[in-house]
Formats: sequence, structure tokens, C-alpha cells
Amino acid sequence: MYWERRRRRSIFEIIDEYLEELERASREFMGALLSGRPSWDASERCLEPLTNMHITPDEVVVTVDLPMVKPETIKVRALSDNVLEVSAEMKRTVYFREFGVTHHSGEFCGFKSKTRIPVPVDMRNLTTKFVRGILEIHIPRKARAGVRIPVE
Amino acid sequence: MPELVRIVERGPVPPGGVLLAGLPDVGLVGVIATTHIISSLGMEEVAYIDSNLLPPIAVLHGGLPHSPLRIFHKDGILAVLSETAIPASAVQPISQSIVDWCKGKEVKMVVSLGGLPTPNRQNIEEVKVFGAASNDEALKALREGSVEILERGFMVGPYALILRYCAEKGINAIALLAQSFFEYPDPEAAAAVVSKVTEMLNLEVDVTELLKKGEEIRLRARDVMRRTQQELARMSKSQEYDLPLYV
Repeated sequence: MYWERRRRRSIFEIIDEYLEELERASREFMGALLSGRPSWDASERCLEPLTNMHITPDEVVVTVDLPMVKPETIKVRALSDNVLEVSAEMKRTVYFREFGVTHHSGEFCGFKSKTRIPVPVDMRNLTTKFVRGILEIHIPRKARAGVRIPVE
Repeated sequence: MPELVRIVERGPVPPGGVLLAGLPDVGLVGVIATTHIISSLGMEEVAYIDSNLLPPIAVLHGGLPHSPLRIFHKDGILAVLSETAIPASAVQPISQSIVDWCKGKEVKMVVSLGGLPTPNRQNIEEVKVFGAASNDEALKALREGSVEILERGFMVGPYALILRYCAEKGINAIALLAQSFFEYPDPEAAAAVVSKVTEMLNLEVDVTELLKKGEEIRLRARDVMRRTQQELARMSKSQEYDLPLYV
């Protein structure tokens, strides 16, 4: 039985598993940060926003920096059980030359990002708020079968 | 032993000035604030910093190469500015070299401009500026400027070391830190430190344009912020949230 199998694990194993999970999430996130691709896609005419993720025991909080966007155009979509897509249109088109860059040509009219959530979450019950140009997405973590340890 | 950091002067640097430090840190507050001051006062480059600890980068301005770490000057005000993230491994030698150079130039005050990471920043309408200092005289300057003192806690990064090394060398130094986002560019926090430092130094710098262009600045600062985030993680910047041991 699953319950029997879970009961045999010690508190130390459970803590170790939790820490490993956090470490894995952190490594994955840093890996994404360190990737060599540009933060823009001229063919899709979109910029990749700055994104961050915090994992707490109860939820995953993803924040996305969305300057110059029309708030009513912000879309949050769960592409799968663990991938979240955020997109938004900008108030006006932005050109490479506005960054002082003349060796690339193109324009951008929105933001798009995909975020992989490294722990099991319940995407159907996510909540969002947009304050001071930052989108905050709260996604509840899926409950895990827990074991109550008696405290002496 | 080869020199790790070189500060190369491109012209005369008058002694006895005040040095503003705008180095990449939380919210890029110092970089945004110092860039605004340099451009508002029309400051000119007088020196640059070279180090084999920095990535092999040239920043092109008008097709000409420049060091990403430069020192500007006008009318007794010096400003050190970094246009790229400083690798965590280079923070100590670069901070040390800046302070040694300041000692040689008889700088009378070093003012580090930066952010204080604040978890509920989104809900703060009016950003507050806090301060820390290298000695009692500098603390007095903060109090006279009505800056609330950071009494206890941790500082992590170049400004922490600049304060410590200035304390060692007997240089007056303060850090003006505005409540800011940790991982996102924060022009409002930058405007708060610009207002405070210009008030303390009797400089005339208007922040209206800085606030007006806030969203555009956030857009343009994305890539530098992304690189800075990596270095902040490497230097355990989040330790600034830690509560100090207080017995």
C-alpha cells in the first residue's frame, strides 16, 4: 500500500527530498537565466520579460516585469501541467534604434515568456494581480500525502 | 604579483571631490541614478577601470570602444559607473581599488547610491531612503540630511565593501539605499536616491524626466538586470533579508 510505503520514510528523508526539490528548481532557474539566447525575438516581434519564481511550501509565485504594456491585453495560459505562458501587448511599438542599436533591424510590439514550474502545481486555481507594472501569479502546489510525526 | 585592477586616468582629476558610486545591484538603482546625474550635470569621462577579472567587454559609444567601468567628473563631483554587471569574483578587488584611488585623490566623501530590497515594494507608494556610514562624521551627515539610519542588518555587495574599506582608510563614506525591487529595474527608487543625494550635496538635478521615462528605462534595463541577477545570486545578496543575531 502507498500509505504503508510512505510511513516507512523518516523525517530526515522527507526533509532531504524537499531540499533536493528546491535545489533542483533553483538549478533549473539559474540555467534558464544563464542561457545564451537573446532576450528578444525579431521574427515574433516580441521581447522576453524579466521573470522570477519563488517556491514556498504551499504555492509557487511567478512574477513578470511588464513595463509599457496595455493591462487589458495581459494573457496568462497554462500550456501544460507545468508550463505557464504570459503574453501582453505594448502601448506602442518599440524599435531597435531606440536602444541605440543600428546593426539589427526590427520592431517589438509585445512581451512573451514561458515559465516551467519545477514542482507539481494546480494550474486551474492560479490567481493573478497586476500592480506597478508587475504581474504576480500565485499557483497552489499540489498537496502531497503527508505524515504527521509525533512530537515528544 | 600582477595588478588585478588598474584605474587609468584620461585627464586631470582634481583632488578633494565627492565620489558617487553607481554600481549594478538590486533594482539597478545606483546605475539608473548615477546615469541620470552624469547626463543631467554634463559630466565627462576622466578615468576608466580595467581588470582581468572583468569579462572581455568593450562598450561601444559612437562606434568607439570604452571600458564598461568608468569614472566621470564635473565641478568637484566624481561618479563611478558600471554599464555591465560586475562578476561576483571581481567585486572585492574592484571595491578595494576604487577606495584606494579615492584615498590618493583625497576624496572627501564617497556616496554609494543603491537599493534596499523590500519584499512588498509593489505596495509602497512613497519610497523611503535609508543610510549607512563609514564613521561617526559620515553618520552625522546622514542625520543632518534626515536619512533614517540602517541600525542593524547585513549589507552584501560592492557597497558593503566600499563602506568597510573607507572605514579602514579613514574616508567619510555613506550609502544611500532606497526601498526597491530586488530583481527588477526600479527607476522610482533611483529618483528617490537622486533627490536625496542632490539635496545633501546642493546639486540641481531634476528627477521629473527620470520618473516620466520610468517604463522606458525598465524596458531598456532588462538585459543588464538579467546579468546582474546572476551575480547577485552568486554573492548571496538575499542575505540582506536575514535577521541579525541580536543578543
